[in-house]
Amino acid sequence: MKPLGLPAAVLLCWGQALSAQGAVAYGTVKAIDGKPVRYAQVSLSGTTVSVVADSFGLYHFPGLPTGRLTLRARALGFKPALETFTLSSGDSLEVDFVLETSPVYIPIDVWTAEPTVVTAAKRSQLLDQAVTSVAVVSDTELARRAVSTVDEAVDKAPGVQFLNGQVNIRGSTGYVQGLGSRVLLLVDGVPANQGDRGGINWDLVPLEDVQRVEVVKGAGSSLYGSSAFGGVVNVITRDISVGWHGRVRASGGAYANPPYDVWRFRDYTGGREGLDVTGSYGTNLVRGSLTAGGWHSDGYREQDRQNHWQAAAKGVWAPGPATRITASGSWASDQYEVPLVWCTRGACDDRGLTYQPFKIATQDTGTFTRSDKGYLTALVERTSSDHLAWQARGSWLRTRFTDLRQGADDYGIANRLGAELRAVSRPTAGRVVTVGAELARSDVRTNIFTGDTSSTDTVVGTHTQAEFAAYGESEQLFGRARLTGGARVDYIAVDGGGLSAVVSPRLGGVLTTSRGAWRASLGRGFRAPSLAERFVSTTVPPFRVIPNPNLRPETAWSGELGNATRLSAALHADAAAFWTEAYDLIEPSVNGSAIQFRNVTRARLAGLDVALAAQPPIRGLTASLAYTFLYARALASDSAPGGPLAFRPKHLLTLSADYQWRAVSVGGDFRYASRFERVELYSNDDRVAEKVLDLRASLEQGPLSVRCRLANALNYIYNQVPRTLAPVRTLSVTLTWTY
Amino acid sequence: MTTRARGAAAMALAAALACNQGLEPALAPTSCPHGFVGVCGTVSFIGQVPESTAKVFVVAFDTFPRSQNDLFKFKPQLDPTILPLGGPPFFYTLQLPPGRYEWLLAVWQKQGPPLSPTNADTLLRETGFYRDTGDTTAHGSGIVIVNAGTSTDSIDFVVDFTNLHRVCDYFPPCP
Repeated sequence: MKPLGLPAAVLLCWGQALSAQGAVAYGTVKAIDGKPVRYAQVSLSGTTVSVVADSFGLYHFPGLPTGRLTLRARALGFKPALETFTLSSGDSLEVDFVLETSPVYIPIDVWTAEPTVVTAAKRSQLLDQAVTSVAVVSDTELARRAVSTVDEAVDKAPGVQFLNGQVNIRGSTGYVQGLGSRVLLLVDGVPANQGDRGGINWDLVPLEDVQRVEVVKGAGSSLYGSSAFGGVVNVITRDISVGWHGRVRASGGAYANPPYDVWRFRDYTGGREGLDVTGSYGTNLVRGSLTAGGWHSDGYREQDRQNHWQAAAKGVWAPGPATRITASGSWASDQYEVPLVWCTRGACDDRGLTYQPFKIATQDTGTFTRSDKGYLTALVERTSSDHLAWQARGSWLRTRFTDLRQGADDYGIANRLGAELRAVSRPTAGRVVTVGAELARSDVRTNIFTGDTSSTDTVVGTHTQAEFAAYGESEQLFGRARLTGGARVDYIAVDGGGLSAVVSPRLGGVLTTSRGAWRASLGRGFRAPSLAERFVSTTVPPFRVIPNPNLRPETAWSGELGNATRLSAALHADAAAFWTEAYDLIEPSVNGSAIQFRNVTRARLAGLDVALAAQPPIRGLTASLAYTFLYARALASDSAPGGPLAFRPKHLLTLSADYQWRAVSVGGDFRYASRFERVELYSNDDRVAEKVLDLRASLEQGPLSVRCRLANALNYIYNQVPRTLAPVRTLSVTLTWTY
Repeated sequence: MTTRARGAAAMALAAALACNQGLEPALAPTSCPHGFVGVCGTVSFIGQVPESTAKVFVVAFDTFPRSQNDLFKFKPQLDPTILPLGGPPFFYTLQLPPGRYEWLLAVWQKQGPPLSPTNADTLLRETGFYRDTGDTTAHGSGIVIVNAGTSTDSIDFVVDFTNLHRVCDYFPPCP
């Protein structure tokens, strides 16, 4: 098959699929030595339709559409093979496959045994061809974990840790109360960090609509620009199938009560319940889907109730076999009580204790937030020829929040408009060139990020930030090596002022050897200060938080050396050593009675990532281990002493195991994060390591599935960020009906 | 018990052991905790707490404030000790860096907007402070020394909710 590329293959097959019924393909799947490959999977490209060869390598694929088709055969330990042919109505064609053994680790989804395709480089590529580490959370894992939100699913990915909703990839961000994420969120490749605070709304996309999540580790600014300082999380939504489909997902759950009576704060058991409904319809020409739902939670601590409503829609039009136009959007609204920090002695009815982790200070009673967010995107994708594909997109992200506090309310309405034009060219065999240009404009109207220095809450201000960028990356195959080089230049203008430029180059390579696929990369990352960091003007008693319009972008050089290999037939390993030198990190700095964001810290984050996926001899059992060692230090400078960076665990370990027997599966995750060496605020409070065991079980029967999840099964009481209790034991049951 | 069952039981036990030792209830101290660096003592209360009370907290000043601009130079900046709103005598601990402190006081805060230097005179009242034995000066004189690695105990004083003093009482004139 000519190198049409995955998008072209998908479009080609999709456009022709199901145009007629009744054609058959059959044949054998053999290894190069002529021996049959048992239980190989043969699939029709661009669809989810597949058959499995028998123990003699024979397969029979009925019901194929007519026209030009591509079949793909794959099996563990072999390179996938493609065969393209033309079928007419009633044809019965023999199509044999010969698979080459793969001395290298073929990245697979440990549950489905399928090669993993990722989009880390703004184009589809096999996971082992990516020059940086990529962790993938598939829809199978999302379903198995029976989680309710995207962040709960991503939290257990290797090297990833959430701190009270703020994502860290290899310790990138620490914890800054949701401000200034050093990780970029993409939804189907579209940047979705808030226009004002730069943070991430993890509930922007309904979990029901998520196909998989890719976590790109290390600096990704050479392709993605600002915010991709420490990594990228790409949430990829589901494709829409032909015909009518529907899904109803109902969930209910309960929070454990405090393990000690002296911590009791209510006389009932808190619950959580939700309902989501998805419907879709598709033809060869157009497809559409709509999801709506919501949930309510009583929360697991005092003043922790939350209501969430959401809706999402997606439409696809394929006017030709090589053209696809997608429009999608989502809206979510949250109204929630805010527990702020837990009660310390004297601040509530403390019952003679130094702190009450389930209760809040009396003076914080009544704090409440309403948060609405939504996005719209339009994407045109076209494969012009075997050598060129391009896409253009526009996007609009809008967020609005109102914080109701005693004595003062804060609000902000932010927009982020974006546009991108991208082309992927394959001018010669073994070479791929990606080029593009990107524009973005963020604005905020607010009474808290005003830039005003007069210490009044009645001022309302508006600020804007414009970003213009161009990027290019080229990959060349030299024998067993793939070398990649590229750069991106970003121009940033705040409030219509002068442009400041940041150049982010990256070099990388992948070498395939008998000892696995080796990857290496060195690139620059940066993050432009958010409008909130520049212009925040508020009071955090007893401090004034004052603006700093002169903040400079944070920058970093980030490199890694990794290897992915198959240690045995049942054990896959991926390991990477990483190193980041960070400059001008933006941190809150206390000066007298004022707090101000400043470029202060020069830091080093280095460490080791190891991920093992095993399929032990026990049929149906899979297990995995992910470990990250992190050395995160602020380096001494004239203005500040060195020391550990706050909120970074030195050790992060995740153990997972699942066992499937027919329609029943059981499993669990154990997460250990070592005690933080340093935290900001309340540094003398008790703090402990994180040791959390999650258990799960599921039963699937036809269109129905029941999934149970017992998160924090041992009801381990801990906090990750100061005076904020982490979730307690939570039982949830999810019933899903799929049509 | 089969070998497999024993293995499962051992794993469950290991998991249970690994996952305990989380946070546990910690009784409020009745004397200066070992290793604590700062000041400890007992606060007694007089009078009825005003209904408009937001909170009452304890802070310390290196030097007695010379102007309103000095009012926010107290310690600890981030985590002043919160006092109960009346009731029986209360043993408090106030974490402080080693040093010499000229004024240790309880501050009453009124309900209202977030505290800032501009509204301090409206929202804050001095409601009691530590004074050396025999001291009779108006604003009080109570020197407290905190040595490195140790705590200073018995810094006792009285909070009098019937006798609140505005900021402008110290820096007149009052409007």
